[in-house]
Amino acid sequence: MDLVAGRVYADERRPIRHIDGALLLVTAILLLLGFFLIYSATNQTLIQDRLDPFLRVNKQMVTAAIGIVVILVMATFDYRFLKVYAGFIYAGMVVTLLLVRIPFLGSSAAGAQRWFEVGGFQITPSEFAKLGLIVMLAASLSELKHALPTIQDVIRLCGVVVLPLLLVFTQPDIGTSIVMVAIAAGMFLVAGVSGRHLAALVVICLVLIAAAFQLGVIKTYQLDRLRAFIDRENTPADVRYNLDQAEIAVGSGGLFGQGYLHGRQTTLDYVPEQHTDFIFTVAGEEFGFVGAVFVLSLYALLLWRSIRIAFLSKDPFGTYLATGIAIMFAVQMFVNIGMVIGIMPITGIPLPLVSYGGTATMANFVAVGLLLNIHMRRFK
Amino acid sequence: MFVSLSTRLWFLQVLAGPQHERDARDNSLRTVATDALRGDIVDSQGRRLVHNRISLEVRINRDELGDQAEATLANLSEILGIPAQELGKRLDTKLYYSYQPVPVAEFVPEEVFFKVREEPEKFKGVEVVEQSVRSYPQGLLAAHLVGWVGQINAEELGDPRFAGYGPSDLVGKSGVEATYERWLRGTPGEERFLVNSDGEVLREFDPKPPEPGHELQLSLDLDVQRIVEDELKAGIMRARTVIDDSTGTNLAANAGAVVVIDPNTGGIVAMASWPTFRPSWFVKGLTEGQRFKLFESKLAPMLNRATQITYGPGSTFKPFVALASLKEGLATLGGYYDCPAEYVHPNDTSGTIFHNWDGHNSGSLSIAQGLKVSCDTQYYKWGSDFYFKDARTNKQELQRRVKQWGFGRPSGVDLPAEASGTVPDRNYVGDHRTRYPDGWIPGIDILLAIGAGEMKATPLQVAQAYAAIASGKLCRPHLVSRIEDGAGSVAKRIGGACRRIPYTETELNYIREALRSVTTGGTASSVFAPCSLDVAGKTGTAERPPFQDTSWFAGIVPAERPKYVVVATVEQGGFGAETAAPIVRNIMSRIYRTPCAGPALGETKD
Repeated sequence: MDLVAGRVYADERRPIRHIDGALLLVTAILLLLGFFLIYSATNQTLIQDRLDPFLRVNKQMVTAAIGIVVILVMATFDYRFLKVYAGFIYAGMVVTLLLVRIPFLGSSAAGAQRWFEVGGFQITPSEFAKLGLIVMLAASLSELKHALPTIQDVIRLCGVVVLPLLLVFTQPDIGTSIVMVAIAAGMFLVAGVSGRHLAALVVICLVLIAAAFQLGVIKTYQLDRLRAFIDRENTPADVRYNLDQAEIAVGSGGLFGQGYLHGRQTTLDYVPEQHTDFIFTVAGEEFGFVGAVFVLSLYALLLWRSIRIAFLSKDPFGTYLATGIAIMFAVQMFVNIGMVIGIMPITGIPLPLVSYGGTATMANFVAVGLLLNIHMRRFK
Repeated sequence: MFVSLSTRLWFLQVLAGPQHERDARDNSLRTVATDALRGDIVDSQGRRLVHNRISLEVRINRDELGDQAEATLANLSEILGIPAQELGKRLDTKLYYSYQPVPVAEFVPEEVFFKVREEPEKFKGVEVVEQSVRSYPQGLLAAHLVGWVGQINAEELGDPRFAGYGPSDLVGKSGVEATYERWLRGTPGEERFLVNSDGEVLREFDPKPPEPGHELQLSLDLDVQRIVEDELKAGIMRARTVIDDSTGTNLAANAGAVVVIDPNTGGIVAMASWPTFRPSWFVKGLTEGQRFKLFESKLAPMLNRATQITYGPGSTFKPFVALASLKEGLATLGGYYDCPAEYVHPNDTSGTIFHNWDGHNSGSLSIAQGLKVSCDTQYYKWGSDFYFKDARTNKQELQRRVKQWGFGRPSGVDLPAEASGTVPDRNYVGDHRTRYPDGWIPGIDILLAIGAGEMKATPLQVAQAYAAIASGKLCRPHLVSRIEDGAGSVAKRIGGACRRIPYTETELNYIREALRSVTTGGTASSVFAPCSLDVAGKTGTAERPPFQDTSWFAGIVPAERPKYVVVATVEQGGFGAETAAPIVRNIMSRIYRTPCAGPALGETKD
């Protein structure tokens, strides 16, 4: 009996039985929503170009199918292995970020050196860099010798952050840089870094940003976007174009939207990048305020599950990991939707799990997989 | 975070939603106006004066040229024979939106159309389209009357009369093309397209087809018009061979005009002004030489001298002064009045002597006899009498009376920029203080009595007044008699705007008979003697120092039952009987197909 009972007990302890269904569900809904929005955003232009209207959405589905395997893989091993290999992961990340800068290996567009071309797929290392940073920071923070991080700890941790941050920032990829800074700041806060140190870090950041402007690291188009955000009235129409078209699209959705595939701005392709960074315009125009708030509530649910997992984690590494991921989702969602509706400047950040794009979607799947992993193994 | 996003969404979508929806609509709807076919212009018998024909036009859509612009222009240059640089210059215009094709060449041969169609990849953004342009099957005929059509200018665009016109639209610039612009133009159609962000047309909505312009039917008779233009030119050429007695040189006869009007309706049967122009020049755009000739040379061929230029009417004015004297009790139908060789205003101390035109004393003459020989001194006397009467009553009776015939104000003819002429009265003198430092003086009335001095009238005004003598009605002259819509139903009739003049039939008959005697035994008798035409008329010779005299003749035919009033004026044409009367005679003779025996032209009688 004992043996039998022991087996029953062991069965109950099997991680698969403790999968977070709600997290899986909300991920699936966001993913499905993404398929619909991507189809709506791309079918007309594809037809115009005499291509299969399902071309993009099919590609995204293939990405998602691979993603499901990734989630499974991410959930099978114990996440604590990551802590062991955090250094390797971090080093690999830095090396990839360096490789992408080599002209023959990495590809560039509009002066930005950001991705590898592999068999028709674009792989953007900065998407994984965010995860790599989270893992490294989580590992470091969970190994601190003191209950609260000392000044030396903070300086060391800052070094960990700054290396990949600089590589990403100078690609240049300001959007991802902002997310990385936010992740680091959030994780420091959770780890108990003192307010004074945080304040000092903020000042240093501001100085660095000012220096970046002065040294001309910031490209003209990025300055233009910032100016368009701050002083919209006096911005030339071509610079404002994205912003204006996005607002018209979202705004014309009204309370209940124009109806799926009936958005005028969407079907006529007036919003640039409407299947990637500006995909929220499609939801706003075709499903209205009600639909937009529904999407927001899905993200609220996603965040609630992530934060809950951070609390439930059996060890600090899991807590830091889940916290980092939660911050990553939150910041990306806020910056993305904020820029679409004009309360944030335009930066190239995709909407998590919804925007079209292979690497970003894959990185998000890895993140969800890790969350599930932590949740499944929450019992000691 | 969620609160700020939701608040902003509420603001964007619910509060500002309707505005954004409108913006989205404006974004994607593109409206293109399609030109309406301009209305035809036909004569009184439906013969075409102006219609439309098709020109093959090459247009380039700058939006579609893309990165092949240079290659496309080079290819186009090859088949058009126009340097690519020139094509590029024509493309560089602000008259068209970037999505509107810009015309770069007109009247291209058909092979251009086929070449462009065969190799579309070589001619990206190029289209060869049929464009309707004005066509003038009668050539130069009636050029001043139909007028010309040209691209709207900045001034016109700002004019509320041209509300709804685009910067590349054509408008009538002169003649009835200008007066009846609104009718001729028609209503442009509208094509509405749904376009995507690349400007590609995705869907065309039900187009609103253009409504063609109305057809103008003129009171003009092409046959008469042709005769009139012929004879005016011939008469002017003839005059140039004549030596002018006063200057000893040939008559300059630099320009002239003829008006033929139906006295019963005011309908203009023919109207000519020489020198003239070729309206078709404007269709292809003027060359530099053409522009100079039309707008800058001293010939001033664009002027319609029948309506836009005023001349001293000379003795053609006498019948109206005679009737005024009659009405104001200065003369009677049975009375006789001295016609001395010269006349001096009573009490005049300036020593001014007014001479009879022929320097003779003709004794005592009735009004009719005075008109027959065109006695001036009779009229000087009446002028003096009016001056004295006016000094007592301050009523300006002479001026008031002659204005009853339409002098001194525009006739209201349906042609643009009509001159109003002048009847010198107190106001006029008041406005011209430098010329009349002494104010109102007797000489003004005395000279007015023979149609001289400051008295000025257009040939059309003289024709209108003679038409009133002929019919007893003063009618507003008009060129267009009917406006028809595309379906052929009449949208508007014009004409018959007549009112009776305040003279009795006895008085008018007396004058008509007197004018008849002018052609049978008076100043124009030698001109009309060889013809069996029943004409009442009056010669006129107006001095115009330092130039040669203006030659006039106004005739009514047939005198018995008037059908036409024909007035001819030739600038620097000498005596009325010398140049203008023969022109009128020849016109009448050809209209009535009654040949006159012998030339009998060239007599020098006033």
